[in-house]
Amino acid sequence: MAANMMLEVDNIHTFIGQFHILEGVTVRVPPGSISVLLGRNGAGKTTTLRSIMGLNAPQQGTIRFDGRDITGKSAYAIARLGIGYVPEHRAVFKELSVRENLEIAARQRGDLDRTADMIFALFPDLKRFINLPGGNLSGGQQQMLAIARALVPDNRLLLIDEPSEGLAPVIIEQLVHAIRELAKEKTVLLVEQNFRVASKLADHYVIIDDGHTVEAGDMNYLIEDKALVQRYLGVS
Amino acid sequence: MQGQPPKTRSPWLTTLLDNWFLLAVLVFLLLLPHLVGWLTDSSPYGVQRGTRFIMQGRSVFWQSVFIEIYALAVLVMSYNLMFGFTGVISFGHALFFGLGGYIVGMMWQYTDIAPDLGLGLSIILTMAVTGLLGFFIGLVSLRLRGIYFAIFTLAVAEMVWIYVGRWPLTNGEDGFSISRMPEWLDPSRNRLNLYYIGLALFVFTFLFIRRLVNSPTGTVFQAIRENEERAKTIGYHTLTYKLIAITIASMMAGGAGILHALLNKKLGPEMFGVVYTVDALLMTIIGGVGTFIGPVIGAGSLHIADVLFRDANTSILGFNIGENWLLITGFIFVIVVLVFPYGMVGTWRRAQSWLSQRWRNRRQQKVAMTRTGQPVEDSRA
Amino acid sequence: MMKQLAGNRNDSWVVIAGLIVAIVIFAYFSAGGNMGTFTITLLSGLLRAMLLFLVAAGLSLIFGLMGILNFAQGAYFMVGAYLAYDIQHPTSGVISLGQHIPNPELRFLVGIIVAIAVGGALGAILETVLLRPLYKRHLFQLVLTFGVSLIMLEGIKAVWSTTPYTWLENIGIQTQRFVIFGASFSYYRLFIIAMGVLLIIGVALLLRRTRIGIIIRAGVEDSEMVSALGINVRSVFTLVFTLGCAMAAFGGAVAAPFLGATIGMGNTFLLASIAVIVLGGLGSYEGTAVGSVIVGLAWATMEQFSIRPGVGSVWASITPMLLLALVLLLRPKGLFGEER
Repeated sequence: MAANMMLEVDNIHTFIGQFHILEGVTVRVPPGSISVLLGRNGAGKTTTLRSIMGLNAPQQGTIRFDGRDITGKSAYAIARLGIGYVPEHRAVFKELSVRENLEIAARQRGDLDRTADMIFALFPDLKRFINLPGGNLSGGQQQMLAIARALVPDNRLLLIDEPSEGLAPVIIEQLVHAIRELAKEKTVLLVEQNFRVASKLADHYVIIDDGHTVEAGDMNYLIEDKALVQRYLGVS
Repeated sequence: MQGQPPKTRSPWLTTLLDNWFLLAVLVFLLLLPHLVGWLTDSSPYGVQRGTRFIMQGRSVFWQSVFIEIYALAVLVMSYNLMFGFTGVISFGHALFFGLGGYIVGMMWQYTDIAPDLGLGLSIILTMAVTGLLGFFIGLVSLRLRGIYFAIFTLAVAEMVWIYVGRWPLTNGEDGFSISRMPEWLDPSRNRLNLYYIGLALFVFTFLFIRRLVNSPTGTVFQAIRENEERAKTIGYHTLTYKLIAITIASMMAGGAGILHALLNKKLGPEMFGVVYTVDALLMTIIGGVGTFIGPVIGAGSLHIADVLFRDANTSILGFNIGENWLLITGFIFVIVVLVFPYGMVGTWRRAQSWLSQRWRNRRQQKVAMTRTGQPVEDSRA
Repeated sequence: MMKQLAGNRNDSWVVIAGLIVAIVIFAYFSAGGNMGTFTITLLSGLLRAMLLFLVAAGLSLIFGLMGILNFAQGAYFMVGAYLAYDIQHPTSGVISLGQHIPNPELRFLVGIIVAIAVGGALGAILETVLLRPLYKRHLFQLVLTFGVSLIMLEGIKAVWSTTPYTWLENIGIQTQRFVIFGASFSYYRLFIIAMGVLLIIGVALLLRRTRIGIIIRAGVEDSEMVSALGINVRSVFTLVFTLGCAMAAFGGAVAAPFLGATIGMGNTFLLASIAVIVLGGLGSYEGTAVGSVIVGLAWATMEQFSIRPGVGSVWASITPMLLLALVLLLRPKGLFGEER
C-alpha cells in the first residue's frame, strides 16, 4: 500500500453515551482521490466522519492525517490542520447571510478573497444570493453553500456527509460535477447512501456494516460485484 | 445425586434476605425513641407531671429531629422522583410543600371544623390541590423544552411566596401558629404518636416510590431521563409519563408539608421559599440522584448537620458556622455537583463496582497466568 | 427556488405594537389623566427597561450560545450595586475603598469601573472553573449556576449584612432634575436611558458587523459546527459569559443611586430578566431588547397603578412573573423565538 495516505483511520472504537457505535473501523484515504464510505442506515458512517473530525473522540484506535496523529484532538484544532467538514443536513447557518456563512469559514485574512472566484465559478447561484439569509436558500443551494464553506480556507481534505440527500436528480448532477472539479485539488472522503452517486464519484470505497469495516477497495471492482453490493447496501 | 428436586426458598425469606439492610434500618427507627431514652436515661413519653406529659428530655428531642427528617425525606424523595428518576427539574417544589402546611394550618385555625375531621379534610384537600396544581403546571410547560418547566415553577413559586408574604389573613411575613389540633397528634402533648405517624408516612413513601420506579412505568421514567427523544421514537408518549411523575411528586411534597406543619406548629411564607427547593435539590444530589436511599441519606445528613451546626450556633476557629450556614451549604452544593455528581450513594456504588472490577481483572490475570505460565495483557485494564 | 420570508416576523411586530399601546393606555389611566405623572411613569418604565436589558442581554446570549440559564446573573447585578454603594460611601460601607478618593464624582466613576471589573472577573472564574468541566451536561450546569447564585447571595449577606442600604450622596448630575408637564425627573435617570439605548444599538452593531459577532450568532445556531470550522468556541463562551456578567454588574452599579443596595434586588431582577428573555424569545437579541421595553413599561405602570387605594402592592411585585406565566401559557416561543 502507498506509504503516505492522506488519512489513516486505524481500528477505531467510538462510543456515544454508553452505546458502542464503532467497533473497529479502518479507513485509508489516498491523497488526491475521492473515497466513499458505504453501508446501511445506522452502520456508523456519520459517526466515523465525526470521529475523524474530533466531534466524537474514539476510545480506542488512532487517526492520522497526513502522517500526523490527530486522535483525541479538539475539533477546532483538527479543522485548522486543513480538514473541511460538510455534515449531514448541510448545517448552514440560517440566520447568517451567504456572505457571512463564507466569511466565518475563513481562517486567515484574505482567505475569502483568494477563493471567492473559484467558489463562484463552481456555484454561481451563491453569488446571486450573496446577501440573503442562508435559511432562504433551497436545499440544493444550501448544500452548495455548505461545500463552498469548506473551500474557503486552505483545506486539503474534505469530509462530506450525504451530499445528495433530499435533492432532485438535476441538482445532484450539478453537485457531482462540482465535487469532481474540486477533487482535482483536494482529497475527498464521502459518505453516500445513494450508490449511483457514489459509483459516479468515488475512486475507492469502504463498506461499513454494524460499526466495523467489512470491505475496501477500488470502485471499479465494486461496480462489477453485484452480490457484494446487494449484501451490504441492499440495492441492486 | 440425581432425581432430587432443588429446594425452593419461601418467597418471604427471599424478600427478607434481599432487603435485610432496609429492614434493619426500619427496626432501628422503630426502636429509636426507646433506644435514645435508654442511652440518655430519658423517657420517650416525656416527663410526667400528673396526668400529662411535658415534652422534655433527649429522647423527645431526637424524636423531633427525626420527625423533621421524615418530612424532609419525603420532600426529597418526591423531588428525586421527578428529577433523579425522570430527569425533570423544578425550581418551585417548595410550592407544594407550603400548600400542604398552609391548608392544614388554615383548616384548623381559620375554620370551625372539628380538628379530627379537619385533619381528614385537609389531607384530601391537599392531595387534590397539589395534584391538580402540579398537573396543570406540568401540562402548561412540559410540552415545551425542559428549561421552561424549571422557569415556570420558579415563577409560580415566587408569586405564591410573595403573595402569602403579604396576605393579611395569615399575618403575611410573620405567619401564624397552630394552637388548635387533635390532642393525640399534638407533638407538645405526645410526640411519640407523631413520631410513628411520621415514620409510617416515610416508609410508605419509600416503598411506594420503589415499587413505582421498578414497575414498567418507572422504567419509562428512567428512559425519559436517559434520552427523551429515543423514548419518543420507541413510541412512548413521554408527556403523559412526565405528568404522572410530577403529579405524584407534588402530592408527596404536600404530604411532607403537612407533617412539617404538624411538628413545628408554626407556618410562615418561608415554607414556599426558595430555601426548601434548594434543600430538596441539594439533598437529592448529595444523597445520590436516581437512587432510593440517596435522598433519605441526603435529608438525614443535612438536617442533622443543620441541628448540630446552625441551631447550636457552633463556631470553629472564630468562624461562626451557625450564621453562615447557608453560605457553607452553597459551597457544599457546588463542590458536590462538580466532584461528586453521583452523590454519596452513587459514588459509593461506583467505587464498589470499580473495586470489584479491579478484583475480577486481577483474578482473571492470575488464572490466565497459571495456564500459560506467562502474564496476559489485559486489554481492559 | 427561494423560500418566502416567514410571515410570523411581521405578526410579531403587530403584537409588540399592540402590547405597547395597551400598556401606554393603561399607564395614562393609572396616572389619572395627569400628564406629568403619565410621562414620569413612562420614563420610569424606560429606565427599568434599560436596567433589565443590562441583565437580560447577558442572560439571553449566554443561553443562546451555551444553553445555560445563568441563575447567578441577578447576583452579579447585586454585586455591582453593593460595590458601587460601598465605594461611594466610605463611612457607611464595609470595605471603605472610597475613602482614598475625596472627589465624589470620581468615586462614583471608580465604583462603576470596579463593579464592571469584579463582575467580569467573577464571571470569567465561574465559567472556566465551574462550568467548563460540566460541558454538555446542561442539567448540572443549570444546577451549578443556581448554587453559585446562592453562594453569592450569602457571601454578600456575610460581608454587608442584610440591612438595606439607601444611597445618600447624590452627586452633580443626580441632583439636577428637569421638569416636564409639572413633574420632575432627574437628569441622571434620563442619562441612563440614553446610555441604555446606545448600548442596545452598540451590541446590535457588534453582533452584525464584527467577526466575533458573526461567530456568536453562528454559535447560537450551532456551536458544534462553529468549532468544526476551526474556531475555538470555548473561548468565545468564556468571553460572552464574562461580558454578560460584567454588564449585569454595570447595571447594578448605575442603578444603585436610586435603587440602593438590598439583598432582594438580585432575585427580583433575575426573575424579571427571565420574563424578558422568554417574552422576547430565548436566544434572540432583538427579542431581548424589545422584551426589556415591554416588561419595563408594564412593571412601572403596574407600580403606578398600585398606588391607587384598594390595590395591593403585591400586584406590582409579581408583574414580571405574571407576564412570564402569561407568555408561557399563550405563546411560549415568545416574540422572536424559534421552535428549536
